[in-house]
Amino acid sequence: MNRRAAVLLAILALLLAALPAFAGNYLLSVATLILYLAFVGQAWNVMMGFAGQLSLGHSLYVGVAAYVAGGLFFHFGIGPWAGLWLAMLACVLLGAAIGFLAFRFGISGVYFALLTIAFAEFTRIGFDHLRWTGGPGGMFLKVAQRDQIDLAHFRGPPEMYYYAMLAFAAGALALCAWLLRSRAGYYWQAIRENEEAAQALGINTFRWKMVAVMISAAMTSVAGVFFAFYYNNIFPEQIFHISRSIEIILGPIIGGVGTLFGPIVGAALLTLLGDGITELLAYYDWEIPGVKQVFYGVVLLAVIVFRPNGIWPALARRLGLCK
Amino acid sequence: MSFDRRRFNQTLAAATISSLAPFGIVRAQSSKLKVGVLLPRSGVQGFIGQSCQKGADLAPAVLREMLGVDIELMNADTESNVDTARTRAERLIQEGAHVLVGAFDSGQTAAIAQVAEQRGVPLVVNVAAAPQITEQGYKFVFRNFQTAIDLVRNGLDLIGDLFLATHTVPRTAVYMHVNDTFGQAMTRGIGALLPRRTQLPFKIVDTISYDPAARDLTVEISKAKASGADFLLLVCRLNDGILLRREMVKQRWNPMGIISPGSPGMYEEQYFKTLGKYSDYSISNVPWYNPKAPLTKIVEKAFLKQNPKDKMVFHALNVGFTFEALLVAADAYKRARSTDPKTLADAIRQTNITSKMTLGAPIKFNAKGQVEGIDSACVQNFGGIPRVVLPAAAAETKPVFPAPYFKKT
Repeated sequence: MNRRAAVLLAILALLLAALPAFAGNYLLSVATLILYLAFVGQAWNVMMGFAGQLSLGHSLYVGVAAYVAGGLFFHFGIGPWAGLWLAMLACVLLGAAIGFLAFRFGISGVYFALLTIAFAEFTRIGFDHLRWTGGPGGMFLKVAQRDQIDLAHFRGPPEMYYYAMLAFAAGALALCAWLLRSRAGYYWQAIRENEEAAQALGINTFRWKMVAVMISAAMTSVAGVFFAFYYNNIFPEQIFHISRSIEIILGPIIGGVGTLFGPIVGAALLTLLGDGITELLAYYDWEIPGVKQVFYGVVLLAVIVFRPNGIWPALARRLGLCK
Repeated sequence: MSFDRRRFNQTLAAATISSLAPFGIVRAQSSKLKVGVLLPRSGVQGFIGQSCQKGADLAPAVLREMLGVDIELMNADTESNVDTARTRAERLIQEGAHVLVGAFDSGQTAAIAQVAEQRGVPLVVNVAAAPQITEQGYKFVFRNFQTAIDLVRNGLDLIGDLFLATHTVPRTAVYMHVNDTFGQAMTRGIGALLPRRTQLPFKIVDTISYDPAARDLTVEISKAKASGADFLLLVCRLNDGILLRREMVKQRWNPMGIISPGSPGMYEEQYFKTLGKYSDYSISNVPWYNPKAPLTKIVEKAFLKQNPKDKMVFHALNVGFTFEALLVAADAYKRARSTDPKTLADAIRQTNITSKMTLGAPIKFNAKGQVEGIDSACVQNFGGIPRVVLPAAAAETKPVFPAPYFKKT
């Protein structure tokens, strides 16, 4: 990171830290959503961007973690911080199972992606029939009055959720930066570029792909626990749906797959674009349902056509942030 | 469209205002009651959200006439997405909404309810059946709609009433249901309540579930026909309902009738358009408006004025309950004479609306914010129109059961 990049990052961090002081609740909820998407995008990026393993079923980890932590809280009063570890363990085991099935039997590329979708889908069906979690009727966590911060139970005003998500997103960025420069990071990049060549160089590709899947699953589980305690209601249909997986991957794809800041830029752009279009349409009294989605689609198409590697690499060059 | 400098400046100004609004710099002032209406007008639930919106759109004029109060709608599309529902609710409150109404889906409604509770702005739920919404101890959340269990209970009770009214005693039923979230929930409700309904003379001889995306129901209908059941108890959605009825015609299976204990599909416009005469005699027991209520006539007139090519009967549930949610807000505003959300919430708690549109007891919220005693109607299709046949007090015509096409196997 050059000096200019460090200064810009520090300014961004200061701005984000000070945001609740001057932003209303609406802007804060949008910012929380951006950080949430940036975080899960970062988690997905470990698997796809770093190690080259395409997952289209990351909603699986969000859902399982939300249900594990939410269920423990709902039934036994176990707080989210303890629940987080169990949720993380469940997701790591699930990720390991998927990874083992795929990598042991040479499933890769689109077939691996299909496997991840299949896991998310049959988990959804499983939870639809699981009475302990409320089945299709969903699980509603008890909502307390949120005037005061209760960190132990992760209950509090919107500012608390914002700062928590900011901390998670910053932590994920730091972890990914470290991973990318670690031995694992170099192995993953070698596997991503040419798996046979990496294997020929002596890299245990099975092991390192498994590590990538498990780290990605563990990171995503944090987002799942956050989701459960932020929204306080979980429905299988909603949380395991493929649209949620797509939502997770759109940010890094638009921002730049395999880059550190791509998921953050992508999440910010997509969320602000969505809300910006809504505001503009409302200003012009264009109350035509679906118009926003059309605009949104056109803009995404333009980004993909004109910036196939994502926005961040070009933006970084333009801002002089590359070494 | 040319994009000259003036146009560019206008757009830039609009964008600037839009971007400043979240910071609270731009605030509109109004003496009207501002009602934030949150509905899924796009996305997977877009069709139903737009149907509900028709009930909201006609409300300001009708309520001005009825109660002499001015309300201003602030519409927001939740895009059938829980994240958007939450941020839109925040936005509406920030823009000055005094009351929120919405949001058709239980997940989205629950997300909005949290925002409403935290900001101390009343939320009047139009349609959402998850019982937990009013079981959370919220002080600002009110619901004028049946809970899921009430939906099944009323649906089953009406089946008993139907048999009494038509002097029929079917002994067996085959139960078919769509295998999705809704179908599973209904099945569980039926499983829990049916054994306790001793007045119902029939027993279920077979249960057949099918995929919501099924393109062919040949096997399922063959199986149902082979069961020899007297009638078909059906929990469906629209597309599968059409597919299923077509297959029944194809396989010449003519049971005493098709009865839904509380699902959509068979009373919807597309069902009639696609099936023509074969849509007739299907029965749905669902929350409905009272066609004889004076308020229904007023709302129907307003509906036809706004939608001259449409029929309100095809939006009955959505228009009825969305309009009533706005009626609750306007009535509270009239009594409270204030737009202060806390005063409005207190006024909503004191609501007692006897002249209402939908069936059932007066709109009166219990300590949890739930209206009790909302009834369902037994709605039967005749000549391409769903008509209320029970309860007798609201009936437009008499029920026909068994259906004329019935052939004993």
